[in-house]
Amino acid sequence: MTIPQSPPVKGEHPLENLADKKIKARRWYHDKLLVTGAIIVGIALFLAAFGEAIAPYDPTVPVGPPSVPPSTTYWFGTDTSGLDVFSRVISAPRIDVTLAVSAAVLSGILGTFIGLMAGFYRGVFSGFIMRVSDVLQAFPVFILAMVLVALSGRNLTNLIFALTFLYTPIFIRLTRAEVLTQRERAYVEAARAAGNSDLKIAIKHVLPNSLTPSLIQLSVTVGFGILLTAGLSFVGAGVRPPNPEWGLMIANSAPQLVLGEWWTSLFPGIAVSLTVVGFAALSNAIERRVATS
Amino acid sequence: MNERILATKGLTVTYPTVQGSFTAVNGVNLELNSGEIVGLIGESGSGKTSLALGLLALARYPGRVSGSIDFLGQELLTLPEEKLREIRGRSIGLITQKPRQSLNPFQNVGTQIGRVYRAHVDASKAQAQDHAIELLENVGINDPQRRIKAYPHELSGGMAQRALISMALSAQPQLLVADEPTSGLDVTIQAQFLDRMWQRAEETGTAVLLVTQDLGIVANYCDRVLVLENGKLVEDAPTREFFANPTDAYSKKVLSLAGERAQAETASQEAGSQTPLIRLEGLRKTFKLDDGKVLSAVSDVSLTVMQGRSLGLVGESGSGKTTVGRLILRLLEADEGDIWFRDTDLTAMSTREFREFRSKIQVVFQDPFDSLNPRWSVEKAISEPLDLHTKMSKAEKAQRVSELLDQVGLSADVRGSRPSGLSAGQQQRVCLARALSTEPDFLVLDEPTSALPPVARVEMIALLKDLRERLGLSFIFISHDLSTVRELCQDVAVMYLSQIVEMGPTSKVFAHPEHPYTRALLDSVLFHDPLDRRVDREHLGALEGEIPSPIDLPKGCYLAGRCPFAEDRCREEPQLLQITEPDHLVRCWKSVEGILSGASVVG
Repeated sequence: MTIPQSPPVKGEHPLENLADKKIKARRWYHDKLLVTGAIIVGIALFLAAFGEAIAPYDPTVPVGPPSVPPSTTYWFGTDTSGLDVFSRVISAPRIDVTLAVSAAVLSGILGTFIGLMAGFYRGVFSGFIMRVSDVLQAFPVFILAMVLVALSGRNLTNLIFALTFLYTPIFIRLTRAEVLTQRERAYVEAARAAGNSDLKIAIKHVLPNSLTPSLIQLSVTVGFGILLTAGLSFVGAGVRPPNPEWGLMIANSAPQLVLGEWWTSLFPGIAVSLTVVGFAALSNAIERRVATS
Repeated sequence: MNERILATKGLTVTYPTVQGSFTAVNGVNLELNSGEIVGLIGESGSGKTSLALGLLALARYPGRVSGSIDFLGQELLTLPEEKLREIRGRSIGLITQKPRQSLNPFQNVGTQIGRVYRAHVDASKAQAQDHAIELLENVGINDPQRRIKAYPHELSGGMAQRALISMALSAQPQLLVADEPTSGLDVTIQAQFLDRMWQRAEETGTAVLLVTQDLGIVANYCDRVLVLENGKLVEDAPTREFFANPTDAYSKKVLSLAGERAQAETASQEAGSQTPLIRLEGLRKTFKLDDGKVLSAVSDVSLTVMQGRSLGLVGESGSGKTTVGRLILRLLEADEGDIWFRDTDLTAMSTREFREFRSKIQVVFQDPFDSLNPRWSVEKAISEPLDLHTKMSKAEKAQRVSELLDQVGLSADVRGSRPSGLSAGQQQRVCLARALSTEPDFLVLDEPTSALPPVARVEMIALLKDLRERLGLSFIFISHDLSTVRELCQDVAVMYLSQIVEMGPTSKVFAHPEHPYTRALLDSVLFHDPLDRRVDREHLGALEGEIPSPIDLPKGCYLAGRCPFAEDRCREEPQLLQITEPDHLVRCWKSVEGILSGASVVG
């Protein structure tokens, strides 16, 4: 909507200023959310690529005496085996972030495509797909993930597949809902009248207009993926030691907390939380941006 | 009688925005007197709604109202909120655009009307209920005892709007503000509603401010006209003077466009050939509803469009006219009947064969924005059919797009625009260009003008007329707007409740309508002539109530329930489409036998 310009009359009414401030505050807040999210996600992705290379010590072999508190030599201290906590914290994204991003992207692509088909061609197939994803979503995610990993074997590829399997129903549901509203719009009918086949309409017209929810979901799914990977490793169903992984680090050092060795679990804990918050913030900021534009 | 009810001085409504404040209504001075209906017109975005709400000292958040509003000697803008609330509803009634959204879905109509009454008048619940029944009866709702128990979702748009007007009138206000109360209603319902409002104003001396975009409504019902442009009042004149001699630029433009249309002759009869291009035979389409009931959208429709001619398919919403269009395009498959295109039976083609064939039959839909892919540029949209049906090179396609843009009167710089960056009129031109791109033999135009603002609508009609003559287009024009059909189409078919009730050359049908439904439809058209007002005419053929649902169709004539001429024979005997003159068909035995009493006939 374009608003014709008129000479601004300022400060005549308290309501007016209040509204102005509100609007500004909201914008600033949104931008801050976006910037914060983007910075955290940026760092996470950077560390996933170069974390191991810039780490001061090798994260997988003992480099000093065990249980040293944070110092100038060992910034985040060392753990009970003498591994450098800082090197391990910044090397962990290589596993955590890569795994979560791969799973999110795979499930995003798979879920969007299945959702498109299930929404566009309604019928027995669509109903079957939706019931299956209902069942999948009804299980507690964590338990199901553990079962899947246990059945398929504990390695990175299987972890990615397990996560993909878990997150695909979310994308199916989101895309299908959007497709159901899009397919009723007149441009779909116009495309059919122009001589497009159903499949062409679905892919050329409906799909690009139904992507937004999936794109928003993608970032938050990465966050969840990191949390789930860390969680699985924490209970011993994820990554094997001595690979640097946040959940694993917390699991190994949790017993030491009572002995006052707080640094070995605190830093990876902060790293997990920050990363998850970062991806969620980015997703949230994008969502609001899309909604207001 | 002519007591002054409300007067404003320098009424201003401003909305703060991020870029500074926006003045929607700018220093308006106006007066409203008792028993007077005043029309407020102006382009969309000119501030009509803001002004209407402003009169009640209301503005949509975060707007604010300033200036002065003198209502029966009281200054509204300095009045405390409690006093204002007492005045709103009791002394000033408001009817807004969307009737169903203005009603509370959790309360039945009677309770809602009663509450307004009890909020302002000291009455018991039972008294309020009786009052509500009386009011619903007054606005022409059949069976009010039953209707007051209805919830808003059980009412049609027309009925909801009438329930709202009874609510607004329940405390007998001195002023009624109605913001486009009939937009979205069918013509016969619109006429019923406005007639009631006019009568009430006459009887009770209520002053009415009627916000509208329709000059026909102004000419027929208003005593005085206000024109708003960019928030400023640019015209304030008695209706007759306004139509005879408008002073400001906007009014002149609108009136001259309207004038051109009034003078436009009925589409010429000679044009076109006698070779059938599209022939529908016994088309039938039903829909199964979830509760197992069957809805007949189209029953036994047969019609022919000749090469180079245009046929108008008219009827109210729910008559099945859009379904006919979609059956021709095979966006829906007919249950029974054939569609002949020259010598080919379209219904016999496989889906795949027909897909190729689509380049010959194209369509323009009602809502231009919705029928364009929001992510595609104009160029991409227009060249899509070329991609599908031709083997043109990139350069050839670009050339063809330029040609088409020129044909529909768009400049070349819209090529890269997205639909959201275009006006509704431009969007519809893009849709038309897309439909024309493969040089189709036949077009289905499904209400292509009804979602457009008045000026764009007139321009669109002129464009269609021009294209029909230049390209020799044949088309079926689906519409509820009779005056457009008269201008554009050589033949007309009138549909009511899934059937064609009358068909013939436009000039004949419009000059001598036979079927009672056609008569009522023509009678509801509001012409832009303040000297020939509908309220001054007698309406012998006016229809009662509204179009019934197409489930469980009656045994006899489908119109019998609403028809003022109905007899027992009408209710018993199914009506057939019969020939009265070689090219004129009517589905009414009384009319065929020539015993239909002379209703008012509009030429």
